[in-house]
Amino acid sequence: MGHQNTLCIGLDCGSSFCKGALGLNGEIVGLASRPTGWDVAGSAALVKAELLKGYDPKESLVRVVATGYGRELIKADKIVTEITCHAKGAELLAPQTRLVLDIGGQDYKAIATLNGQVISFQMNDKCAAGSGRFLEVILKRLEVDLSQLDEFLAAGQAITLNSACVVFAETEIIGLLASGVSRADILGGVVASLAQKIASQAARLDPTGPAALTGGLAQNLGVAKALGQALGLTVRPLLKGPYAGALGAALIALDID
Amino acid sequence: MPKVEFKLPETFESFGEARKSGFLKMKALKEKGAGVVGVFCVYTPLEVFLAAGLVPVSLCSTSDETIPEAEKTLPRNLCPLIKASYGFAVADKCPYMYFSDLVVGETTCDGKKKMYELLGQIKDVHVLNLPQTQSGQRSLPFLISELKALKDKVETAFGVTIAEADLTRAIKEKNAEKRLIKEFYELSQMDPPPMTGLQQLQVLFGSQFKFDLPEKLADLRQTIDDLKEARAKGERPVAKGAKRLVMTGCPTGGATEKVIKAIEESGAVIVAYENCTGARQYDREVREDGDPWEALAEYYLGVGCSVMTPNPNRLELLGRLCREFKADGVVEMVLQACHTYAIETQTIRSFLSDKGLPFLTLETDYSAGDVGQLKTRAAAFIETLG
Repeated sequence: MGHQNTLCIGLDCGSSFCKGALGLNGEIVGLASRPTGWDVAGSAALVKAELLKGYDPKESLVRVVATGYGRELIKADKIVTEITCHAKGAELLAPQTRLVLDIGGQDYKAIATLNGQVISFQMNDKCAAGSGRFLEVILKRLEVDLSQLDEFLAAGQAITLNSACVVFAETEIIGLLASGVSRADILGGVVASLAQKIASQAARLDPTGPAALTGGLAQNLGVAKALGQALGLTVRPLLKGPYAGALGAALIALDID
Repeated sequence: MPKVEFKLPETFESFGEARKSGFLKMKALKEKGAGVVGVFCVYTPLEVFLAAGLVPVSLCSTSDETIPEAEKTLPRNLCPLIKASYGFAVADKCPYMYFSDLVVGETTCDGKKKMYELLGQIKDVHVLNLPQTQSGQRSLPFLISELKALKDKVETAFGVTIAEADLTRAIKEKNAEKRLIKEFYELSQMDPPPMTGLQQLQVLFGSQFKFDLPEKLADLRQTIDDLKEARAKGERPVAKGAKRLVMTGCPTGGATEKVIKAIEESGAVIVAYENCTGARQYDREVREDGDPWEALAEYYLGVGCSVMTPNPNRLELLGRLCREFKADGVVEMVLQACHTYAIETQTIRSFLSDKGLPFLTLETDYSAGDVGQLKTRAAAFIETLG
């Protein structure tokens, strides 16, 4: 990867997590992440320090590319939007991807790509429906940890949720719980509603498959399955999908002279 | 001329300096005996007022300042331009609205149409009815009759007579202004352009608030000369290689400058505006021969606004601007809840896709809440341009 001994760092600070990827001599040699919190620049610096643990930055060239909503606050050689970075990162993780679905903490993006290049994209407006935050609020209300989500989804049927708004959905769910609907069925409905919202956005891109899932829910089989059903495409969950933006940024750092 | 007491609004002292000076300027004009007509839209035939010796002025509609005031009456999920227009009127915060003897609205969209009914309770409002289509034989005679109804209204309201010769003179004056403004914005055909898109917009927008025609023409000429001179001296306010974008869509200016800033801060430059504030208004001239009423109607019927169905003139102008300004892409701004533009987006998308021109559409309102998102969208789009 790039010049000999160039440490290529991608930092992707989103609304929930700050993710980092380190590339050296053609290999991704490190990943790190921590909650973004209130201090984007501070969190980014800590992630960078963690990536560089065991390396001597004085002996190498260090190139940093920042992305994510906090990108302008991060000390970097270059700033690139997360849309471009996710496209590149997804191509690295799942070659020949044609549609990247990035579910972030505060927004979601559907990105049509070819060979890791953005062709066109759609992004949600100010509303949180369909974002990671939507699911986060509901999981908290149901006292279910994200790591248990797949288990619940496998066990339940998707009920129809009428509210896409996170505030109203929470109210609706309180009513469903009161009438004895199981958490598994409710979560099935919540994930189906999230998938529907994202799919209707992605449909504007006239997408072809295969699709890949990136962002905080990228490892979640149930979310990928629901998106696949809503889109009529195969959606690949990605183990390293949460790092797609950081990986893409690290790849861009390679090309800096 | 109706008797008017030239008082300032009760809240005057609480206004900022710029606002105060707007009020004082209008008050001075009125004290010199000027009749003032407030207008909203490119469809309003300013020539009619100029022929009558009146002062037409664009009413405030581009800031979110008075939207809370408007939302006491109007629905929240309505176009911000309509809410702002109404809000400024009820809050007495727009010097032009405050001192307007007559307000002329036109039946462009449903939201405006119904808002005028409410505005009519506080101001003298005349509504100019527009046909819904430019095609067929019936629209032109209809618009001519509507222009003549406007003439009657103006003559009654201000106690004046508008002779055909006056109208022809006004058409010629307005054409001279259009020509000069076009000469100004066409400077951005240069590579790189001699001004940023924000600078261009500020001149286009600001020229609506200069009321002395010879002074306005002289200012524009000066601006053109200054830009050429700066260019000759080697000044380059826009970096060579900056991606050249044409703006289209809803009216720009005021609060929506945030969209232009998001684009230009990401390294691209707006070279031309197809919007109302730009070429849609200044690209064509009114025919100077024949019956002036018919000439006016022909011109205004030709405005390429999405309220017309179909709307081929917008495509023609947009396509031509892209060619003449060597555009690398097109960005559309659609105001929240503007149905006609939001739906026409699809037509624009396929029109540009056939030409191989990248296209981004941004929906926004007058709040600052989406500045971060706008920036991400604009920057990502510009990154795809290479």
